[in-house]
Amino acid sequence: MHITYASFPYLSAILLSCVVGLLAIMLIPEERKALIRWVSAIFSGITLVLSACLFLAYDKSLGGLQFAEKASWVPSLGISYFNAADGFNLPLLLLTGIVFFTGVLTMWELEMRVKEFFAHYFLLVTAVFGLFMSMDLFFIFVWYDVSLFPMYLLIAVWGHTRKEYGAMKLTLYLLSGSALILPAIIYLFAKSGLHTFDILSLMQPGIFTAEQQKFAFLLLYLGFGILAGVWPFHTWSPVGHVAAPTGVSMVHAGVLMKVGAFGILRVAIFLCPEGWQYYAQLMALLAAIGIIYGALVGLRQTDLKYVIGYSSVSHMGVVGLGLATVTAQGLNGAVFQMFTHGVMTALLFSSVGYIYDRTHTKMIPELGGLSRIMPVASTYFIVAALAGMGVPGLANFWGELMVFIAAFKVYPVRGIVAVLALLVTALFMLRVVQRAFYGPGNERYAQLPDVTFCEGIPRMILVAVLVLFGLYPSLLLDVIQSASIPFMNGLPR
Amino acid sequence: MMKWVLFVPELFYTLMALVFFGASLSKKVDPRRLYVWALALAGMGLLVSVLFARQEGMLFFDAYRVDLFSQVFKVLLALGTFWVIFSCSELKGINERQHAEFYFLMAVCTLAMMMLVSAVELLTIYVAIELSSYSLYLLVSMRQRADEYVETGIKYFMIGVTASAFMIFGISLLFGMVKSTYVIDVVRVLPTVIAQPAAVVGLVLALSGFFFKQALFPFHIWAPDVYQGAANQVTTYIGTASKMAAAAMVIRFVGFSGGESGVLIKLLVALSILSMTFGNLVAIIQKDLKRLLAYSSIAHAGYMMIGILSMSQRGFASAIYYALAYLVMTYACFMVIMRIAEDGRNLQIKELAGLHKRSPLLAMTLMLGLFGLAGIPPTVGFTGKFLVFAAALEKGYLALVIIGMINATISLYYYLIVIKAAYLLEPVHPYPAVYVDSWTRYLSIILVLAMVYLGVFPDQFVALTEAAARSLP
Repeated sequence: MHITYASFPYLSAILLSCVVGLLAIMLIPEERKALIRWVSAIFSGITLVLSACLFLAYDKSLGGLQFAEKASWVPSLGISYFNAADGFNLPLLLLTGIVFFTGVLTMWELEMRVKEFFAHYFLLVTAVFGLFMSMDLFFIFVWYDVSLFPMYLLIAVWGHTRKEYGAMKLTLYLLSGSALILPAIIYLFAKSGLHTFDILSLMQPGIFTAEQQKFAFLLLYLGFGILAGVWPFHTWSPVGHVAAPTGVSMVHAGVLMKVGAFGILRVAIFLCPEGWQYYAQLMALLAAIGIIYGALVGLRQTDLKYVIGYSSVSHMGVVGLGLATVTAQGLNGAVFQMFTHGVMTALLFSSVGYIYDRTHTKMIPELGGLSRIMPVASTYFIVAALAGMGVPGLANFWGELMVFIAAFKVYPVRGIVAVLALLVTALFMLRVVQRAFYGPGNERYAQLPDVTFCEGIPRMILVAVLVLFGLYPSLLLDVIQSASIPFMNGLPR
Repeated sequence: MMKWVLFVPELFYTLMALVFFGASLSKKVDPRRLYVWALALAGMGLLVSVLFARQEGMLFFDAYRVDLFSQVFKVLLALGTFWVIFSCSELKGINERQHAEFYFLMAVCTLAMMMLVSAVELLTIYVAIELSSYSLYLLVSMRQRADEYVETGIKYFMIGVTASAFMIFGISLLFGMVKSTYVIDVVRVLPTVIAQPAAVVGLVLALSGFFFKQALFPFHIWAPDVYQGAANQVTTYIGTASKMAAAAMVIRFVGFSGGESGVLIKLLVALSILSMTFGNLVAIIQKDLKRLLAYSSIAHAGYMMIGILSMSQRGFASAIYYALAYLVMTYACFMVIMRIAEDGRNLQIKELAGLHKRSPLLAMTLMLGLFGLAGIPPTVGFTGKFLVFAAALEKGYLALVIIGMINATISLYYYLIVIKAAYLLEPVHPYPAVYVDSWTRYLSIILVLAMVYLGVFPDQFVALTEAAARSLP
């Protein structure tokens, strides 16, 4: 694979701005809440700008790994600090930047233990950034576990609705995922005989036998699959998303579930392509079940956040189906869907967070007629819901379209069933919109204020991103293709 | 004459013991002054151990070997002792009149354990382990209101002497097989006769004395009661320094077989799995923080065993690293306990409520310590687990590693319960504010930095442990 080393270390700069922000927050006295918010906004803004620059500066015609940085970390174990960007992780780095910044703005009104919240939040995002950009197996695992570190407290302290249960369930599920990943990683390390954790060296064809690949792939797929919300290991996700505070739900559903899917792509598929081809049928089956199951369960929910939680399970099923096709088109669709689903879910949670902070309820029957009381806030939610239904003109349409075209060719039956399930998703999204935002209003909420311009900024950014990539998908698609097509061509047949 | 240089750390602790023996004869000694003396001497002891860490040689008719392996563990022992004595500024768990004896026994016990890690002759080993055990029996029974905790001392003593009896019987069997008590002969001859049942039985029985100290299942029965019943400082000492000596000896003895005995390895695998699973499952239901840490120590003895039973140099090195990590993390947790329970009482988990407000620094130290014990990066505990598992996988123990990781997941549950109490629970009635003096604050910061630094930049220490493992006979 072609590697270009960085003239300016963009990737380390992203990590550094997160870490410096974290340290700055820790040094500010707890009482100065306004200052903490501004510092958080500035540093998350810097990361957003950096990740956007990175996205635009990537040379699509050249392809391969760019902005690479490499330094030996623990030579005796073959661990190196190796970051690089390619078409697979660039969209996700951009996504993380967007969700991070908008998440900080969404949590602007937080009053309880502000300093600790933003410190944990920065640590979480640092880990996610680190994972997306790393090309070293050891670092990928470390970043995965570091992201668990702040998660428990973020949900248990600042969450609501059975928060302690949700936080504990989520943490234990994700750690069991890592219990499968670590043995697989060390297994590959030991079997390769190369004494390195470098993905580029390990992904050369012929290093692992087919049997080794099958074995390691299964462990890695299940381990990362737990985080990606693959059915039947998804049960932590709706509970955790409901319990988490708004900003954390955004990062969690928007970015962290993608970490799981990305882990399957970067670690399992990159290193064990034969295992991937062997287990593709199983992956497609689980993904199709996830799509249908998420949609049907979502239909029965009365809690707004549970609706979003189950729609995430369904949408992440689409990502899984794309990965299971073993085609370049499927990979394109999967990565595209990861990006757009992240933005869309962040927008949904952000809108629900606003409504919940005002009405103090997320129960759909208690809401109603909100579009007359707070028309702007409702619009944001409705745009996100339309995106979730896959309406053309918004970015999600393209991701789902690409995945389904690819899936039809390979798995006709599962593809058709999954498309039908998307109709159910559309149905329940519309039902939510109808019941919560139209129909008779609830008198109690008649006096509530609408979103002001400033409060609306994070949601505007998210809507703008959805519309931009909805109208101009090739901006994203070209980047992804620069990685997926060479990767598929390089696979042994 | 030059040879005595090798023995300087031990001589220093002998001197320290004599000083406090003298002090214990006097009727009126100010406890504050004793504390300052003890702290100064323990600090010097640490310095001496570090300065003499690079010595190598043999002493006492080759019964005593000074090499990098023993010196690394001596530094760890001195460090543990220094930390424990550092936390004795409010030694409320022990009668004021017995403070001099307390420091005396600490010095003797440290001396004995230092001799233990250097001894390479079976009877010397036995004498050293008995010396340290008897000091600990006395230390455990010294707690104030001993009548409430009388069961503790007796239980510890009874199980302890039983384990020593097993051990001396095992040693006698080894002697029968090898016709020598020198470790160097044992290492040479034992692998050739390990197929015979008597050799395996002898080795396992001899090991049981160390398993007892290490609290490995099924030699763990004393641990919860002793952790709970001993004064907080003594518990800390047993949980940190004493564990180091036990780990060193288990590493040395298991290495005797040369990895030739399938029976022995199967047995160790079984003990490791039982120890991890039992410790973690029972820890879940604990209400007393010290008891919880006791069960967690049983589990950690199991993790460490994974590295040791790999029987490779890398495996032994990983176990040494794990011991170092365990010392730092466990001490961090115990330091928080000793600070919060200043009057020397036992600490219930729920008493941690609101700790993040009462003392954010202690809360953070505790959180990092517990996350480290659970093996979450970027703490030193993760690096330790990683090295241990990597060593085991190189030898193909995949199932064992997966069981170990599942156990780490289980353990996170109860560690999170403690963290939840510190960060989330609001106190039912206001607990007294926690007083943190500036020295404790510095130490907390050092511990936090050490846990993260060793986790993120393990390179030099990995190299050190590998060098230490190479120096094993």
